[in-house]
Amino acid sequence: MGGQVSKMMGKIFGTKEMRILMLGLDAAGKTTILYKLKLSNQDVTTIPTVGFNVESVTYKNVKFNVWDVGGQDKIRPLWRHYYSGTQGLIFVVDSSDTARVEEARSELHKIINDREMKDALLLVFANKQDIPGRAYLLFLELNSINLSTDPLLDLSPEEITQQLQLTKLKDKLWYVAPSVATDGTGIFEGLAWLSNNVKTQPQK
Amino acid sequence: MATTLPYRPSNDSLSASNNRQTSGLPRLSPATSFIGRSPSSSHGSFRRTSTENATSSFRPRRCKAQYPLDSPERHVEYILVASFHIDRGPIMEHQYPAAISGDESMLAELMLPDQTHVRSQDWTMFFLHKDTSGDEETDSADGKKKRKRKSQYHGNQEGADIQDECLDEVSDDPDSSDDEGGEGPPLMYVLNLVNTKQDNTVRRGAVVKAMAICTRHSFLHIYKPLLLLALEDYFKSPFPETLASLYDAVNAMDLSLMPKMSILERHILQSSNTKDMFLEKFEQMIRQREEEELQDGECPPSPKKVSRYALPRDTHEYESKVVYNDIPIPVKIPTVIWPETVGDFSLIKLIQTFAVPHATSPQAFPAHPHLTTSGPFTHPVIVLVNAILTQKRVVFLGHNRPSGEVAEAVLAACALASGGILRGFTRHAFPYTDLSKIDDLLKVPGFIAGVTNPTFANHPEWWDVMCDLPTGRIKISSHVEPAPVTEGLLFFQQQNSLLPNSASSTAHDPTGDTLFIEDILRSISQRHGENAVRAKWRAYITKFVRVAAAFEEAVYGASNLYIIGPGEELSPDSPTGHQTDASDPTTLRGHGYVWTDETAKQRELSASVSRIEGWRNTRSYYSYIQDIAAMYFPARPIQRPDIHHHHDRLRALKLSHSEAASIYLALSHSVKDYAGICQLLTVAPENQAGLFYVSMGLFHPDQVVREATADLLERIAAHPAGRHFWTHVGRFAKLGYIRVKRERDAATQSPVSGGGSPVPTSPGASFGGEPQSLVGVAMGGGMKRRS
Repeated sequence: MGGQVSKMMGKIFGTKEMRILMLGLDAAGKTTILYKLKLSNQDVTTIPTVGFNVESVTYKNVKFNVWDVGGQDKIRPLWRHYYSGTQGLIFVVDSSDTARVEEARSELHKIINDREMKDALLLVFANKQDIPGRAYLLFLELNSINLSTDPLLDLSPEEITQQLQLTKLKDKLWYVAPSVATDGTGIFEGLAWLSNNVKTQPQK
Repeated sequence: MATTLPYRPSNDSLSASNNRQTSGLPRLSPATSFIGRSPSSSHGSFRRTSTENATSSFRPRRCKAQYPLDSPERHVEYILVASFHIDRGPIMEHQYPAAISGDESMLAELMLPDQTHVRSQDWTMFFLHKDTSGDEETDSADGKKKRKRKSQYHGNQEGADIQDECLDEVSDDPDSSDDEGGEGPPLMYVLNLVNTKQDNTVRRGAVVKAMAICTRHSFLHIYKPLLLLALEDYFKSPFPETLASLYDAVNAMDLSLMPKMSILERHILQSSNTKDMFLEKFEQMIRQREEEELQDGECPPSPKKVSRYALPRDTHEYESKVVYNDIPIPVKIPTVIWPETVGDFSLIKLIQTFAVPHATSPQAFPAHPHLTTSGPFTHPVIVLVNAILTQKRVVFLGHNRPSGEVAEAVLAACALASGGILRGFTRHAFPYTDLSKIDDLLKVPGFIAGVTNPTFANHPEWWDVMCDLPTGRIKISSHVEPAPVTEGLLFFQQQNSLLPNSASSTAHDPTGDTLFIEDILRSISQRHGENAVRAKWRAYITKFVRVAAAFEEAVYGASNLYIIGPGEELSPDSPTGHQTDASDPTTLRGHGYVWTDETAKQRELSASVSRIEGWRNTRSYYSYIQDIAAMYFPARPIQRPDIHHHHDRLRALKLSHSEAASIYLALSHSVKDYAGICQLLTVAPENQAGLFYVSMGLFHPDQVVREATADLLERIAAHPAGRHFWTHVGRFAKLGYIRVKRERDAATQSPVSGGGSPVPTSPGASFGGEPQSLVGVAMGGGMKRRS
């Protein structure tokens, strides 16, 4: 009964609920994003997720139920069990991990081609914009080069868009947001995009 | 057997030759047993000497150990260690003494439960189907060699299950010489501890490791302190040697002084709260051990008469210890382990979890004939039990709870529906499982699973009944299969179409479940304890099975659930209370559950018909049929008459004097030997007034009945378990007993002038002479009970 009342209140005051699934390769920063959303002004340190995390975050009158599922290669087949009823997919990419961006692309396309995900919005966080690309660092190290300033050589949102082949997607609302999960840069902008676009989605 | 004994007391109690004929009867005069018993249990220190008599007369046989020293079976078969690899996910690190075989990564996933990263410590439990073949020991020599035999997680071997379920009751026959039966492998139980340690020196800041013990003992919870120590050690020295030292320590645990009990003895012990019930058996185990040691000359007879072995303080559990790294860790092993009782769950906790929210704001269930047997507001605990009995898919969800908690709930639910009587639930239980096993899980028709992942709640197609632990609410799935209309249901409705409809009777609890739950909740609130609640559930399931048997007889003409005794016929042709042979009181007819009248029977049957029909093609139904066939002799030494039935008649019905007389005579004539008395005690448990209804025969108008009852009680009082029941008999009945004895003695002494009777040697034993002191004894017994 309580649920009925809050649904009614929701209709009157425009609060919505939205089920969000957050996926990505291991160590992309999913859990850090989740807890930065939840505890916006605290420092977050995370350890690898065994299984999943789920939290609700209310932002701009939308209650987001965000599911963050562990990303190790072996446990990716479990992702599909979280698809049903999902209205928005957050796919997190480690922009500094240029070597695995192709792997990320293939996983992403597997997800969004699933029938149960066809209506879901797609938000891509091009995360770790603050960290230089690993390949580049290795190159510097091998050549004993010391740079006085931080190199910003990881993938830009535009490059991510291209590498993930998002332009190929038909009938899909998508958006790529640059982010630095550890200090919270960009993540609420991403959430705002979701809440602005969820209106156009049929409520389940 | 002296079945047509004259009822005159003179022959019965005093002639020794007569006693010898009735095999197994104690050769004790009434006086010695009476006196010998009374001071015994009041002082613990006297117990040993006082019980000697009863023990030696009843148990000439050697007492066997439940876990003998020379058994090839180890307490623990494998130790495993798994960890969460930050790149690869769950992996198996070490296995000792050999690889357990089967799917390693599946095991590693089970050992690292969901969300283990949010808590520093968690317990899980899971079961493996694995056979015990002889080549195991030889294989373990060459270590890591892959074996063909696979250990399987549940669900992969559905078809074979019913056949190879173990029937451990087979070996419970006290006379069976060996444990070897054609039984299938018991489950392998796995207790697992997982620790998450934050560590800034490693990549991604944490180390997650889990250690598991694989055992065939269902009391796996005793290993918890050991796993805590050993996993801590493993973090410090992550080598197979750490596993080896744990393995050696647990397998060195000595349980060899724990006596083996028959099915009836176990039943009595478990339903009793008496702490020294069957203490004689423990004494005998120690005596046997000491004799063996004397013979072997292993230890010279100690100058002091003090035994090296201590008797248990409470015979319900056996105390031993495991020495791990020179630290002795005490462990307590339950003496009686019912089927389907695994680990240390609490029925009280489970019941309260779902009863409290229901009590504050009841929620209506969607109707389902198998589940909502008392209408939309059926108590959730009854819905749960109905779901398990009718083999539904039951999921316990504990989001943000440790996985140990959901595992406990699953194990408690298995025990709830089993009552220690029905089987096949733990074999299809998944105390903890996660999404990675979902495809296997869904292949199992009817399961009980524990999960922590709330995504299960979003998949009603995966389960029929979901029990949410944090909220204490039970939900029936929108995808539940409707109850099929069965032949039995139609037959029953045709038969009973003339009777008043069940719709009118729903108001006053036709199943009796509402009353039953109220009784359970009262027991819980009055702190009667876990044991009392388990005993009540056992009675509930016993009743369910007996009602089902009556239903089958009524509808199908015969029941699979009850083996009718010799000379007995099916219900309508065999009116209860008639004697087929007038000269033999044990030919008293009648069997099965007792209702006060036919209307009550019809009302209860029509309320339960759906769930009985729902139960009738489940695994637990078929294994119960196997069990009663296998346990017919061990569990029913007295096949005629149906003692349970007739004792229930004494309890439930208003009987005429002649009807009651025939019951008392039948009991007295059939209940004679050790096993027979055990059987009678199982139908008269302490929590259901014990021997009260039997003792009422002491006040029957017919002297023959009074004396037959007195003889029966005398035998019970001399019985190692029966003596505890006798001390709980009220003072009024004890006085009645003394009166009957006195009348009889007066009758025998007057014609023979008292010369013929042998004088018992015990002090103060002459019955007729000192009535005053005997009354004192009886009252002493009554007072002792209260103290």
